[in-house]
Amino acid sequence: MGDYRVHVTIENKPGISDPEGKTILNDLVLKGTHQSVSKINTAKMLKFTITENSKESAKSKVKEICDELRIYNSMVSVVTIDAFDA
Amino acid sequence: MNVGVIVFPGSNCDRDMFHVLSDVFHMTPQYCWHDKPLPENLDAVVLPGGFSYGDRLRAGVIAAHSPIIQDVKKIAEKGIPILGVCNGFQILVESGLLPGVLLKNDSLNFMCEWTNLTVENNKTPFTNKFELNEKIPIPIANGDGRYFVDDETLKQLERKNQIVFKYDQVVNGSSNQIAGVCNEDGNVVGMMPHPERAAEPEINPHDNKPSSLIFESLLKKIGANN
Amino acid sequence: MSLEPHELEELKLKIGRDPTSTELQIVAAEWSEHCSYKSSKKHLKILPMDGPLVINEKGYDSGVLDVGDGYVVTAHIESHNHPSAVEPYGGAATGVGGVIRDILSAGTRPIALLDGLRFGDIEKDQHAKWLFKNAVKGVADYGNCLGIPTVGGEVEFDECYADYAMVDVAAIGFGKKENLIKNHAKKGDLVVLMGGATGRDGIGGSQFASDSLESENRSAVQIPDPFIEKLIIEAILEARNEKLIHAMKDLGGGGLSCAVSETADALDIGIEMDVDNVHTRESDMHSDEIMVSESQERMLIITDSVKLVKFQDICNKFRIECSVIGHVTFDNKMHVKKDGKTIANISTDVVANATLLDLPSKKPEYLENIEDKKSFPPLSDYSEVMLKLLASPNIASKIWVYGQYDHEVGIRTVVKPGYDASVLRLDNGKFLSIKIDGNPKQCYVNPREGAIGCFEEACRNVVCTGAKPIGMLDHLQFGNPRDPEIFWTFLESLNGLTDFAKDFEIPCIGGKVSLYNETPKGSIKPTPVIGVIGLIDKKPLRVQKINTDDCLIMIGNTKDELGGSEYSEYIHKFIGGKCPAVDFSESKKNMNAVLELIETELIKSAHDCSKGGLAVAVSELCMTNLIGCTVSLDDVPGDKMDADKILFSESHSRYLVTFERKNLQNLEELLKKHNVSFKTIGGFGGESIRFTDNSKSLIDLSVDKAQKTWLNSLKEMVMHA
Repeated sequence: MGDYRVHVTIENKPGISDPEGKTILNDLVLKGTHQSVSKINTAKMLKFTITENSKESAKSKVKEICDELRIYNSMVSVVTIDAFDA
Repeated sequence: MNVGVIVFPGSNCDRDMFHVLSDVFHMTPQYCWHDKPLPENLDAVVLPGGFSYGDRLRAGVIAAHSPIIQDVKKIAEKGIPILGVCNGFQILVESGLLPGVLLKNDSLNFMCEWTNLTVENNKTPFTNKFELNEKIPIPIANGDGRYFVDDETLKQLERKNQIVFKYDQVVNGSSNQIAGVCNEDGNVVGMMPHPERAAEPEINPHDNKPSSLIFESLLKKIGANN
Repeated sequence: MSLEPHELEELKLKIGRDPTSTELQIVAAEWSEHCSYKSSKKHLKILPMDGPLVINEKGYDSGVLDVGDGYVVTAHIESHNHPSAVEPYGGAATGVGGVIRDILSAGTRPIALLDGLRFGDIEKDQHAKWLFKNAVKGVADYGNCLGIPTVGGEVEFDECYADYAMVDVAAIGFGKKENLIKNHAKKGDLVVLMGGATGRDGIGGSQFASDSLESENRSAVQIPDPFIEKLIIEAILEARNEKLIHAMKDLGGGGLSCAVSETADALDIGIEMDVDNVHTRESDMHSDEIMVSESQERMLIITDSVKLVKFQDICNKFRIECSVIGHVTFDNKMHVKKDGKTIANISTDVVANATLLDLPSKKPEYLENIEDKKSFPPLSDYSEVMLKLLASPNIASKIWVYGQYDHEVGIRTVVKPGYDASVLRLDNGKFLSIKIDGNPKQCYVNPREGAIGCFEEACRNVVCTGAKPIGMLDHLQFGNPRDPEIFWTFLESLNGLTDFAKDFEIPCIGGKVSLYNETPKGSIKPTPVIGVIGLIDKKPLRVQKINTDDCLIMIGNTKDELGGSEYSEYIHKFIGGKCPAVDFSESKKNMNAVLELIETELIKSAHDCSKGGLAVAVSELCMTNLIGCTVSLDDVPGDKMDADKILFSESHSRYLVTFERKNLQNLEELLKKHNVSFKTIGGFGGESIRFTDNSKSLIDLSVDKAQKTWLNSLKEMVMHA
């Protein structure tokens, strides 16, 4: 058993609008001098620390928790899960 | 008495503020759109409440980058009275005109309720008609209204008499129950509660006189200047 | 989305050829129950829609009432049940957005919202709790951001909504009569789409739950964007002031298909448009997707080429995208092109007018014996039952909900949420009182009397503020209309509402029908939700604090009507019994009497008796005033009955009036003149809520304890698993 850090990134599905990202892009970033930026997406990140057998099982355990507790709503959101050694 | 009411995309208390300034206290307000220069004849400026840019990224941060804020900073230096209410307070904080930050309420919810303030500084252009420690029944309506400063800054605020209003009990977890602060010169004031929602008897179920004093203080101040 | 086989045949017959794929999508959207009202429309015509204050114009999505001095009030009600059941936050929020745009379409500024929320049993059901919490947040985030106060509403829990959500939103608008948009168009006028980009969200609308459109990268659920909605409101009102708008319609269910065909049909014109001109979020959208996408925050505007320039300036000011998608023709056809090629060309009359159905109905079997009375075992401790009711999810204070809604913004809210009805001040010195009410428990036991009861309750609520009811909104929510038993309950409710509206001369100024509300366990209970708008010419009742020695008069008779009551269902877990029925003449007399009492300024407050009956209504007075009172059940007007019936029966037309003792004689004379049934039933003072029966103490409950329980119960249910 070991400790792992697992990062859960929750964002809207790619085809779904992200009004917050769009406002930050158009009304803040592009109004300045940073014209090379073409897109901003917002996301929410949860950082777990979890004790599991392996990095893989840490990831799958966290995914299970996210699904079971509706940490994201699969109707509109997708999650990306990354695991790191603690 | 010309008062500028600054309107950002998403401001939504601008019309309420305009009504109170003009119809109740007989000042001459004018709307100032965020991407136009600030008119030069203003005796005071109000940043009203609302959800500028939909509160995206952080309440007030995008509006704080508006061109008009540069003009606001210039007239702030000249000592002209500036009041930020709710989102207006958040914008003043994000633009560096006032110290501190406004965090999510400790309930994590939007809170719309009547509170009681106590006046901690009666030297500002918006509080000069109050007695110290006078109570003001007044509503709040915000999601990010928890004023936060670190202990060091808090001591400074106290030393320099920059705390203008406190809640008389714990409302949202703000540092030292602070509801409003001012800059070192005292001419820029920010507050989370809404005086424009409490200044008329019809809509104030408690007592509209204390909130009215906020506007009457401004009248007194501007009158004294003129 | 697809047509049924016989509908396809009908379409072919009407157009004399096979429809194109785009035509098929357009017609399927417009002929859906949601857009066409095909099951209900025939019957809805019985509701009285006209009255001295009603203004009718073609193409309005909201009702318009003349409130005098050159001002109008607009009102509408909508629901967003299916979307809220799968994504409560976005579903509820976009529900708010949709009804607001209906108000805006008439050229009036939205000034208030009310929301009715219904879910399963939150005490036991985690999923219901999740739906509830997120729907409230969705309503709050959207309305608060727009700066439109949510001034009232209702929240109810019932097992019939397990795994489902009912989200009803009513919106009120206000403006000058001269600024109303008189929808019209002339040949060559331009058709403009303004607002958010059209994307793949919301394709398939209400049918999506079972639809294959749900996939990795897109969703039938719409994403709310209140910020752009706020900008649209300001831009439209600015354009209205400049008189730049000939006609206007919000894009709702069915997206562009419905907005274009319905506008053309209402104005008796044709519209030719090109999907390539629609601003889209993604570049690879199919033209059919563009036509039926239900992306939110979009408006269809008809203007001319000169005004367009100014209109575009306004859109630029607010940084709202707008595109000219077509122009007005006079062939009454909806002509859709892509790359210059026709992909749909079909008569608007065919698209906008689905063949109306006359569905069979049959009295449901379950109703046969449901109103048989049942005796409950005697209660050993009335105080304990009382406390249990005050803590129950349907009776507990809803402050946890309305405390999250900005109900003050706009500085019109004179009477705030938490009272019988909310009151807004208008610019002409008058006041508007508004309330929505539903009662599925009673509507299940008796669909007719239950629906009338909702209507009367909403009237009572506005009457308690001193307002005379001037208009009604109905939202009829039922299960699958193809089931004759369900359709029968729909007709019963509708007939009841019609009878009451006619008798009281309260016109129906707007409404909506939402059918196919089914949960995995079956149909919901009949859930009509009724909104009543009242007008106060002089001043509203300013509720004053009740003090020691003040008195309590009860107006109206308490009857043996425990059917569908909270007491029967929450305490005894029994569904059935005699449903409260409104006696029209008694109801009218009582309303008039209360209105006159308020006008004389002899009373401190007026409160209606509804959920939880007399016991809860009296407790509410005590808890909000933090004062005790003693009520003698022997004095309560009505037949002699068991104590529990007097305490908890939810009979209609009853009011509690509080006043200073010195006014007693004047009040009694006035009430005698009105020939109403009334009696002084108690007085205020002390620190406990006390009810006596035959001089024996029946209930003795500390006000402080009751108040804490009542205020915190709902929050605790939500916060703690």
